[in-house]
Amino acid sequence: MTREPKTRHASVAYHLAPGPNVRPADGAALPPQGYSTLEEALQAAGCYRVEAPDAPHEAEHRAASHLDIVCVPSGEPPAEASRWRRPRHERSVYNQAAGSGGEGTELLPWWSVPFAVEELGRLDKAGDLPLAPGERLRLTYREMFAPSALEMRKRTKETAARYVLMVVAWGLVAPVLVILAYLVYKAWPVLGPSFLLQNPHDFMRSGGIWAPLAGTFCLVLLSLLVAAPVGVLAGVYLNEYARDNWFTRIVNLAVMNLAGVPSIVHALFGVGAFVLFAHMGRSLLAASCTVAVMTLPVIITSTREALASVPKAFREACWNLGASRWQTIRTIVLPNSISGILTGVILQVSRAAGETAPILFTGAVFFTPIADTGLASWFPYTLQRPFMALSMHLFTLLTQVRGVSDEIQYGTAVVLIALVLVVNSLSIGLRVVLRSRKRW
Amino acid sequence: MLDAAEPAVEAIIRLCGLSAILFVFAIFFFVAREALPMLHGKLDLVEFFTSQEWRPTSEVHPQYGILALLVGTLSVTGLAMFLAVPLGLGAAVYISEFCTGRLKETLKVLIELLAAIPSVVWGFVGYMVIGPVIIHTTGAPVGVNLLNGGIILALMSVPIIVSVGEDSLKAVPDAYREAALALGASRWEIVYRVLFPAARNGLLAAVLLGVGRAIGETMAVLMATGHAVQIPHSLFDPIRTLTATIAAELGEVVAGDDHYRVLFVIGLVLFGVTFLVNLVADLIVKGIRGDKGA
Amino acid sequence: MTPHIRFHQVTVRYGSNVVVRDLSLEIPEKQIFAIIGPNNSGKTTLLKCTNRTIDFVPSARVTGEVFVGGEDVFHVPDVYALRRRIGMVFPLPVGLPLSVYENVAYAPRRAGIHDPAELDRIVEDCLRRAMLWEEVEDRLDLLGTRLSGGQQQRLTLARALSLNPEILCLDEFSIAIDPVTTMKIEDILREMKSRTTIVLVTNLVQQARRLSDYTAFLSDSQLIEVGPTEQVFTRPAQRLTERFVNGEFG
Repeated sequence: MTREPKTRHASVAYHLAPGPNVRPADGAALPPQGYSTLEEALQAAGCYRVEAPDAPHEAEHRAASHLDIVCVPSGEPPAEASRWRRPRHERSVYNQAAGSGGEGTELLPWWSVPFAVEELGRLDKAGDLPLAPGERLRLTYREMFAPSALEMRKRTKETAARYVLMVVAWGLVAPVLVILAYLVYKAWPVLGPSFLLQNPHDFMRSGGIWAPLAGTFCLVLLSLLVAAPVGVLAGVYLNEYARDNWFTRIVNLAVMNLAGVPSIVHALFGVGAFVLFAHMGRSLLAASCTVAVMTLPVIITSTREALASVPKAFREACWNLGASRWQTIRTIVLPNSISGILTGVILQVSRAAGETAPILFTGAVFFTPIADTGLASWFPYTLQRPFMALSMHLFTLLTQVRGVSDEIQYGTAVVLIALVLVVNSLSIGLRVVLRSRKRW
Repeated sequence: MLDAAEPAVEAIIRLCGLSAILFVFAIFFFVAREALPMLHGKLDLVEFFTSQEWRPTSEVHPQYGILALLVGTLSVTGLAMFLAVPLGLGAAVYISEFCTGRLKETLKVLIELLAAIPSVVWGFVGYMVIGPVIIHTTGAPVGVNLLNGGIILALMSVPIIVSVGEDSLKAVPDAYREAALALGASRWEIVYRVLFPAARNGLLAAVLLGVGRAIGETMAVLMATGHAVQIPHSLFDPIRTLTATIAAELGEVVAGDDHYRVLFVIGLVLFGVTFLVNLVADLIVKGIRGDKGA
Repeated sequence: MTPHIRFHQVTVRYGSNVVVRDLSLEIPEKQIFAIIGPNNSGKTTLLKCTNRTIDFVPSARVTGEVFVGGEDVFHVPDVYALRRRIGMVFPLPVGLPLSVYENVAYAPRRAGIHDPAELDRIVEDCLRRAMLWEEVEDRLDLLGTRLSGGQQQRLTLARALSLNPEILCLDEFSIAIDPVTTMKIEDILREMKSRTTIVLVTNLVQQARRLSDYTAFLSDSQLIEVGPTEQVFTRPAQRLTERFVNGEFG
């Protein structure tokens, strides 16, 4: 059933309202009174073409090049297109299409203007293009790669996502930087060489932090002396010798779980195994062993990764030359992965310096008398006696000592953070340097 | 000529390879050793896990119910994960997909340095900085409470979520991204339609590792959550976790007495829980490797 | 002629996959012996059995016997000495991350030779034989991994020659290098065969035809045919062989 074509109403006129880049091909002028039927308006529209843009970035504007056919009551001039009032009918035509067909939609535009006019005429005859006064039909010229409305929406979503995520990422980092700056600010009056090199006096209420600092150095040195060789060799075993069987899987599982053990459970282990069972008592030795067990798994994993980064082809070449597994490891694999191994070990240095729980009950004490001057003050601790440590010092200052000035508390915290961050930055720097010195 | 010492060297290497297994068993053994006398009949396990009454120092009738402590641990971990997971995954996505060159390197380095901050310093920050801020802005009676602990733990767990999450996003082959791009997807669409499903296992593992870290954290929660053994009814209630309990009380006990041994029992509980969490995370990651083959 | 290498009913499995099936083959001394066949027919595995680098494949199971110079390789007292008697060149050129000098000196050092004069002599001699000396003689400290592909392959050859092996095995040595280098290496092989047994595994039938005195054709893990090259190429006994050498498959 054909609908009554509404476009032949006598009291309306159809005006062509081209967009800024759209001109009639032969420079014809627009009749001021418009056209009496949509059909005539469409015919006239067929003469319009989009002008070539002056500059490439005009392409976006070209995407919005359009030709409107506005319906107004006869005698009235066509009104300016409202930005917010969408056209009643909207079709797209591809400006320089090669090909045929199309559906006039944004994704499948009509391939040329004559074809578009033909299709629009057909739609009009079928009564599918009713236009009441004030409404318009818009024919949009699309450039080949211009974004469609769908794509513009996607772009907006993507930009929004990008900014939200950026805020999230920086929002994590920025407050911490602010807090760190605040800590430094509060600690400022106290920071200086004398703070680092003097011993604490007056029940820790004044003086410096040399004793705990020296203790931390000793702890780190000792624990790494134990953990590094064992960890590196274990990593060598896992990457170079272990076969792919259930036993190896158990070993890998054990490494993973060792890494996940809470630090306080390490403390319990240290008390049970080293302090009591091995009769080390609460001492530097017991604490170092506990910390060594704690840092072991990460050294194993990072060694294994460093070794795995050496290409297998090198090993095979060496085996075929009559070298044994260990000879190959010693001459090719280890020297070329030592840097990655070092990175992992250095990272554990900072961890050993910063952890408190494992040393709380295995040897660290808040106060133990040490020499103030002389050689003994540089090497103040023995293996069998308790010692002071920076992390423990901070903890106790904060929770158990009254009357300590704010600056000393903040100062201790800042020194600990600085120590940890400097060591970590060393490790990161080493990693960056290595990447640029790749030997293959 | 073969290195004369080679067989000895290989033997040492194999021995070191076993060290991890040795130490895991050793940890379990020595903690259990101290805990066992209490576990053999003296400790009512039902009461242990279900009672809120933690009165180990009472002379009349010592009680060892850790329910409040368990809830404390779970609630502060839950709050921390609630904050850390969206932030961590969001940052991981940003670094991995929307960031390039110097900016990416800088952010990665900053997150790594964040991970390096010792827990006692975080506790310090919680106690001295966040606490007063909480009191000022919300009028809560104390600054060290569940909220404080949750915030600090979140900040501590984020780096591991970010780094493991970023690794698993990086492991998704570029071919997936390129195929999606060729089909006209925007970067954001690639993330939530292609990458999240593909990296699902790794991201889940990242979250689980964050959870494991949060559950096991000691010093920071000790200093930031207060000292109240109670089930929290609001964000501003002070609480105590399992880890903090051990740290706070192990120094006061006599070696060998009941209180001392119960603390080791709590240690066993912690060991078991983190063991399980890490095992699950590991199985999930193995799941990826299994799917993708060798 | 006593065979230099002899395979006797060798079957090799990788896990449950049979890679070499009941293969018996004799390789004569001081000739160029080509082993041809399509991919995955077991050619590389045979080479790995001769110098026992099959040991490094965890899932490999070998039955049967392999004899080198009359000795059962799976029961030698020193497997490293065995490997030093057999030089190996692989498909992909591999320069070790050491200087060129140290690359060639690697095997002698592991074998216990440390005298600098002796090492100098070996390095120069091998680099000359591998036709690389002219290009690197004033840059011996250059990192081996920084050479071009063709140079690295000649470096691999020089390394393989560094202990004067009695057998030289080449596994598809030319697939990753340019034709000029390939020709150079083929000339080297022709010159060497009077002193060294050469086993050439190749997919390129024309190369086998050019170079070798004997050819064995393997397909689908089995030995199909073996004989003097001329005969295998012009009057093959098996229909499969004829199809392969005519390029109908593989």
